[in-house]
Amino acid sequence: MTSFRAVFGAALLVACIDQSALATTQNVIFNGTITATCTLVVATNGTMTVSPDLQSLSSHNSGGSAGTVTLTTTGGVSLSVDPVTITTVPAADTTSTTWTPTYSAAGTHSIAETGSATSLGTPGADLVSVNLAGTKGGSNRFASGNYQATVTVRCE
Amino acid sequence: MTHARTLATALAVGLMPIAAAAQSMSPMRGEVNSFTDVFAVRVFPANPYDQKIRVEIHVYDQDFQPVAARISPSAFQLASQASRPVLVVVPFGGAAERKVRICTESIPFPNQQTQIKAQICGKFFGHRKS
Repeated sequence: MTSFRAVFGAALLVACIDQSALATTQNVIFNGTITATCTLVVATNGTMTVSPDLQSLSSHNSGGSAGTVTLTTTGGVSLSVDPVTITTVPAADTTSTTWTPTYSAAGTHSIAETGSATSLGTPGADLVSVNLAGTKGGSNRFASGNYQATVTVRCE
Repeated sequence: MTHARTLATALAVGLMPIAAAAQSMSPMRGEVNSFTDVFAVRVFPANPYDQKIRVEIHVYDQDFQPVAARISPSAFQLASQASRPVLVVVPFGGAAERKVRICTESIPFPNQQTQIKAQICGKFFGHRKS
């Protein structure tokens, strides 16, 4: 009886050891898909100042400042600005103005100032500077009062 | 009935991306097959700002002319870092396929001399199956 207990106990012990030896590992697979993405955050709006000859109202002029937009993208998108269609001018300004929006970017993508669309093929983040210039030709001049224009920055 | 069919189409072919914060709109690309006179796309505009903003959704054709699509909702307030689904139902207009841009536009901050409007546009291609 004593030897039976000893044999049974030893067998049980071996069985327990075997259990740990049978442990296996399994892989858990994680999948993720990111589609083309673009985020634009308007950081600051711009300010335009008038030139001494009163024929240019621009963020490039002395005292003016560009608007800034932060861009974050996965790549595979393009950046552009629309022609200006929304403007507010003082009543005294009755002559036509040509508005020219442009942008440049610094960061992952380096874009020289342009008004055309730029393809962004690689992922990254950039600070986009948006400028706007209004010009008058001939003898036309900007009038005193408040001017406002909206520039649309598009990522698509 | 038409509404139900549209909804069914949307559920059948609606694009369901991985919703994530800090994206202005997702997805930005998609192809949709539809067996009806319309095709539907579900997009998720998001507000990456630290403040509540007003968002408008617009649909344009390839030449940026407005498209008479049904957008639900077309304008709404979005909390900081929030995202919400928007259903866009685009008519084929008798064509066998149609390319449209669905654009999320943020409303510029007021009282600035040069306002900047951020616009994120996705390109979507609808195919009508007979």
